[in-house]
Amino acid sequence: MPETDKPLLAHLLRRAGFGATFQELDRYSQLDYETVVDQLLHPELQPAIEEDVLERYYIDWKESRNIEGALTESVYRMNAYAGGRPLQEKIALFWHGVFATGLAKVLHEKTMLNQIDLFREQGLGNFRELLVGLAKDPAMIFWLDNNFNHKDAPNENWGRELLELFSLGVGMNGQENYTEDDVQSAARAFTGWTIDDDNVTSFPFGKLPWRFRYLPDDHDEEEKTFLGHTGNFNGEDIIDIIVEQPATARFISRHLYNFFVADDVQVPAWQHTPPGDPEAIKILEEEYFRSNYDIRSMLDVLFNSDFFKSDRARFAKVKSPAEVVVGTLHLLGDFKFPKRGIFDVAMGCRYMGQDLLNPPSVEGWHTGEEWIDSGSLVERINFVADQVSDIQQPGVRAMVDALLDRMDELDPESVIDACLELLGHMRLHEKNKAHLAGEVRAMLAQRSGLVAGSPEDRLFAENTFLHTMKMIGSSREYQFA
Amino acid sequence: MTTETEQPVSTQGFYRYHDVIGLLSPAGPGFSGPVAVTTGPDGMLYVANRANPKQPDGVRVSRCTTDGDYLDQFGVWGEGPGEFIWVTDIAFNPQGEVYLADEHSHRISVFGADRQFTRTFGGHGSGPGELDRPSGLEFGPGGNLYVVDTLNHRVQALTANGEFVSKWGALGDAEGQFNMPWGIAIDISGDVYVTDWRNDRVQKFDAEGNFLMAFGASGGDEGQFNRPNGISVDADGDIYVCDWLNDRVQVFDRTGGFKDVLIGHSGMSKWGRTLLAANPDIERKLELAVQNIEPKRRFYRPVSVHVDGNGKVYVADCYRHRVQIYQKL
Repeated sequence: MPETDKPLLAHLLRRAGFGATFQELDRYSQLDYETVVDQLLHPELQPAIEEDVLERYYIDWKESRNIEGALTESVYRMNAYAGGRPLQEKIALFWHGVFATGLAKVLHEKTMLNQIDLFREQGLGNFRELLVGLAKDPAMIFWLDNNFNHKDAPNENWGRELLELFSLGVGMNGQENYTEDDVQSAARAFTGWTIDDDNVTSFPFGKLPWRFRYLPDDHDEEEKTFLGHTGNFNGEDIIDIIVEQPATARFISRHLYNFFVADDVQVPAWQHTPPGDPEAIKILEEEYFRSNYDIRSMLDVLFNSDFFKSDRARFAKVKSPAEVVVGTLHLLGDFKFPKRGIFDVAMGCRYMGQDLLNPPSVEGWHTGEEWIDSGSLVERINFVADQVSDIQQPGVRAMVDALLDRMDELDPESVIDACLELLGHMRLHEKNKAHLAGEVRAMLAQRSGLVAGSPEDRLFAENTFLHTMKMIGSSREYQFA
Repeated sequence: MTTETEQPVSTQGFYRYHDVIGLLSPAGPGFSGPVAVTTGPDGMLYVANRANPKQPDGVRVSRCTTDGDYLDQFGVWGEGPGEFIWVTDIAFNPQGEVYLADEHSHRISVFGADRQFTRTFGGHGSGPGELDRPSGLEFGPGGNLYVVDTLNHRVQALTANGEFVSKWGALGDAEGQFNMPWGIAIDISGDVYVTDWRNDRVQKFDAEGNFLMAFGASGGDEGQFNRPNGISVDADGDIYVCDWLNDRVQVFDRTGGFKDVLIGHSGMSKWGRTLLAANPDIERKLELAVQNIEPKRRFYRPVSVHVDGNGKVYVADCYRHRVQIYQKL
C-alpha cells in the first residue's frame, strides 16, 4: 500500500490532537487516511494511561486542592494521551471552551475535573445526552446558580446560558433564536435540579464530592411554553426541544468548524455574521440531523471533507496556549512518566492567556488572533524555544539522531527542510525561510559541514540542528496549527 | 481522644477503632497528605507529609504524642542537605537516628535523634547503592537498612551509612521479581515482606533475599489487592497491608491467610474539634452535609501502616489528612 500523505496526516493530528511526532507519522502513514480518522474518533479503543502510576507520584491530584494543581492535572493528562487518545483530550478541551465553567467561582477542583471527565467520556457522543449530562453536572449547576433556581424563586442564569451560549446561540441569519419568555420557561423547567454538599469546606479532613440531586418538591410543575411548544416540561423536555432546532445545528457546526477547521469571528458576532464557509457549515448541519445529533459522526464528515483537507485549511488557525504547551511537550516526549516539574511547565498555559479550568467568563476564551498580544507572544516564543533546543529531551534527541542518520553533508536549505519535516511538516514563509537559511549558512561557514566526520563534526552538526529547530520554534509559523 | 463514644470493631472482630489524629493543615497541628507513619524510640508518632506541588511548606515530618498532642515538626522542602521533595518513608535505626527516603532526589537523608540533619546517601542510578525512586525503608535486626528501590524493581540492603551490602529483584512477576515495589516490613526473625505494588501481591524473603512465600492477587475480594503499598508485621506475626486503591487495610496471619479487614471508622480528631470550636460556621455546614457519614469515616487512599508494641495499629489515611488508630483485641 502506498504511504499516506504525511503532511495531510500532520494537519489532521494537529487538529484532532496536539500534533504528532515523526515516528507517529511514520506509523500512521502505513494506514489509509480514513482508517486514521476512524482510530482517532474511537479513543476508547486505545489503551488508557496508567492512572495508578499517575496517582502514586502526584498523590494530591486525585483530590486537587488548588486551581494550579487542577490545571496541571489537565495538562499532564492531555500530554499523556496525546499519542494514544488525542481526540479524547481535544474534544474535552473543545467542550471546556464552549461550556466554559470556572474555578474562580466553583472553587472545588475535583468537581471541575469531574466535568472535564464528562467531556472526555461523552464529548464525542450524542449532543442531547451531553447536554443532559451538563445540566446535571455539579460544577455547572454551581457555576450558573441552578442550585438557587427554586420553584417559588426561579433563577434564570442556567436557563439563559443554556440557550445563548451552549446550544442555540443568540441568533442566526440576523434573526433572534429565542425570546425572554423562552428563557424564563427554560429556567422554570430546571427548578429542582441541584447539588449536595456545595457548602462544605475542606476542613477538617478534606473536601467532599458534590453530587447532582433532583428535588421534585422544588420543581415547577406548572405548564410552560418554550419555543412554540407547551406542556408541563422538565429539564430533559427542554433539551429535547433544543436539539431539534436548526439554530442548534448551526451553532454546533460553527463551533466545530471554528475549533477544528479555521478560525471564525467570535461567538457574539454569529447572529449577524454569516459563516466564512457556508457550504461546509451546511454539510455539518445536515450530518447533525442525519446522525441524530451525533458529534462523532459530524467529526467523521468534517475530517474526511475536502474543506478540511484543503490547502486553505492548513495552518489556518492560531494555536491556543494549551495547544502550544501540550503540542510542544508531546513533540519532546517529555512528562510521559510522572516526574516533578510538570507544575511549572503547565503554568505556561496561564501565562499565555489560557488559564485552564478558569476561563475569563461563561463565554469562554476568545480564540484566533485574539490569543496573541505582545505579552503572550513572548511567553509562547520563549516556552517553545527553550524546549525544542534541549537535547536532553527524548523527542529532541530522537529528531537530532534522525537528522544525523539522514544527512551526509549540511547545506542550509536541506537542514531547514529536514527540521521542518520532523517538527510536524511545518512550512515557513519564503521570506522567513530565506532569513533562516542565512543564519544557518553563517553557522556552517565555521566548519566543513560534514556530518560523518570527527566527533567534533558530529557535535557541530547536532548544534546546527538544535539551533535551526530553536529558530523554527521561535517563528511566527510555529504559532499556527 | 476522639469526642465520639462509639468504638466500632473491624469486620472479623479482631480490632477496635480507637482514635484519630489529624486535620488538614500545611503546618503545626495537622497533616497534609501523610504518606508514612511510625513510632519512634521516644514513643512519639512521626508522620511524613507529602503535601502538594503548590504547597511546599506542607512538606515536613510532624511529631506528636500517640494521644494527638502536637510536639513539633522538622525537615523542609528542597533539594539541599536535609531537605526533601517527594518524601516516601521513615525508619529509625537502633541508635534512634531518623532515615527519610526522597524519591525525587533518589536519596536517603539521615537526622539525629535531636532531628538535626547529619548525612545523606544514595543518588540516582542502577548500580550498587544507587537508587531510582526509593520508597519503603526498614531496619533489620542485624542493623542493615533495607530500601525498596522502586524503579530498579529491587530491594537493596545497605549499612546504616549507605554502603552497599546486597540486593535482589528485577522487573517481572515471577517469584523474587517485582513491578514497582513500594512498602517493606521486617519481622522479629529478620524476614522481609515487600508489597509488590503493580503485581498486587506481597512477597516474603529471608534476610538474604531468598524467596519464602507470596500471597495476594489482583481484585477486590478478601485476600486480593488493588496496588498494595504500606505494610507492617506485629509481634504475633500478623501482617498488615494497605490495600491502596481498595481503600482498606487487610490483615493476614503469618502464613498469608486472610484474617481481617479495616475500612476506617474515623470520628472527629482533637485538632479538628479545636478548629470547629473556633469556627462554628464550619461545624454547622458539616452537620448539614448529606454525605456526612460514609466518605468522611472511611479510609481514602491509606498509604502507610505501623503496629506498635501494644497492638495499636496506626494507618496514614492520606487523602483525609489523618492517622486512624485501631487496637488489636
